[in-house]
Amino acid sequence: MFNPVEGAETAAQLGKFGAGIGAGIVAIGAGIGIGKIGAAANEGIARQPEAANDIRGGSLILAAFIEGVSLFAVVVTLLIAIAK
Amino acid sequence: MKSLFTYLLSLRGLVLAALVAGACFLSHRFSAHHTGDTVFTTLYMHLVPAPLVEPHHEPAAAGDHGAAPPEQAAPRALLEIPLKLPALAAFDYRGAVPPGDEPKTALFNLQIFQVLAVVLILVAFAGVPRYLRTGKGDPLTRLLAGFADWIRGEMVYPIMGKELGRKFLPYFLFVFFFVLFMNLVGLVPYSATATASIFVTGALALTTFLAMIGCGMAVQGPIAYWKHLVPHVPLALWPLMFVVELIGLLVKPVALTIRLFANMSGGHMVVLSFMGLIFFMGELWGPAGAWGTSPLGLGFAVFIMIIESFVAMVQAYIFTQLSILFVNASVHPEH
Repeated sequence: MFNPVEGAETAAQLGKFGAGIGAGIVAIGAGIGIGKIGAAANEGIARQPEAANDIRGGSLILAAFIEGVSLFAVVVTLLIAIAK
Repeated sequence: MKSLFTYLLSLRGLVLAALVAGACFLSHRFSAHHTGDTVFTTLYMHLVPAPLVEPHHEPAAAGDHGAAPPEQAAPRALLEIPLKLPALAAFDYRGAVPPGDEPKTALFNLQIFQVLAVVLILVAFAGVPRYLRTGKGDPLTRLLAGFADWIRGEMVYPIMGKELGRKFLPYFLFVFFFVLFMNLVGLVPYSATATASIFVTGALALTTFLAMIGCGMAVQGPIAYWKHLVPHVPLALWPLMFVVELIGLLVKPVALTIRLFANMSGGHMVVLSFMGLIFFMGELWGPAGAWGTSPLGLGFAVFIMIIESFVAMVQAYIFTQLSILFVNASVHPEH
């Protein structure tokens, strides 16, 4: 089944396969991280409604940090996907 | 709650709308039209910055001159700027340097919208000082004055403190509204999003990076700044920690660059994907497929556009807030 002539092509296809899987894992990780921030922020606001503005601003910043890390991963997967 | 028209129907709002419309017209008229080999690539070409070229001539008018019209000649760029450094040859606007020519860069349609953002700031904020002195102004001026006051009171002063915040406030106000106007104008039809180019966001992050290093060295002293980069660690660990902190310093502007770029281009990609789905189904199943898919595709595209208008504001906020945090951290080192 494995043809050595097509080996290089298969490797390139496998690279794209890996990039797709990587993008999915990035989404899972970022989702878990931002979900935890959202849960904690909502809980904090429910417990202390007077601190809502501070909590909201802080959670936005923290979400931005997680987003930054996941975007790095997306850039790596994009580089794999468009590599010749 | 005032409606949007209250803000737009003052003289200032109408001037702003006219400026945006004029910039979209200029960009549409002078940028080269791309076609890809599939409908998806054609749609995605709209995300790629297009160099400004001379407007296309009609084929009939070209035929009147008798001589054979140059069919496949690339349209001439409006303004070409030669790149003197050989290292910059990779940035040639034609993709590759043609033989017998020097590397050049050109004006892109993004530059129209960058200039537009500056002009919008000048026009929109022209009435704010008078409003702050006399309390008289149109609704748009009052809205923007409140916005600027919010940035000062909620973003700059709580982090930097009043004394330092006063000095940095103009820069952060400019960054916020520059990014905000570029993001928001990018949602208008026929426009281009300047912040969806990694070079524009990179340049913005570079100014933050220079502010971090420059102001840090000015406040702490040129050598003390680099010494304070490392927190108190055992002497043996110092060289390793210095390298780690140096990488951390360099990653901050890179993260700012990629965050803004990816957020702004990502939303557009999703919208274009939903639009491309309609054409794709049209090719697959004929007009019935296209008509059947279009309510779904359009509905999702509108939904994503609503999210994108929210993201445009949030990203301007996050870019400014993180810049404030980074600059403040380099001016006040942790002891």
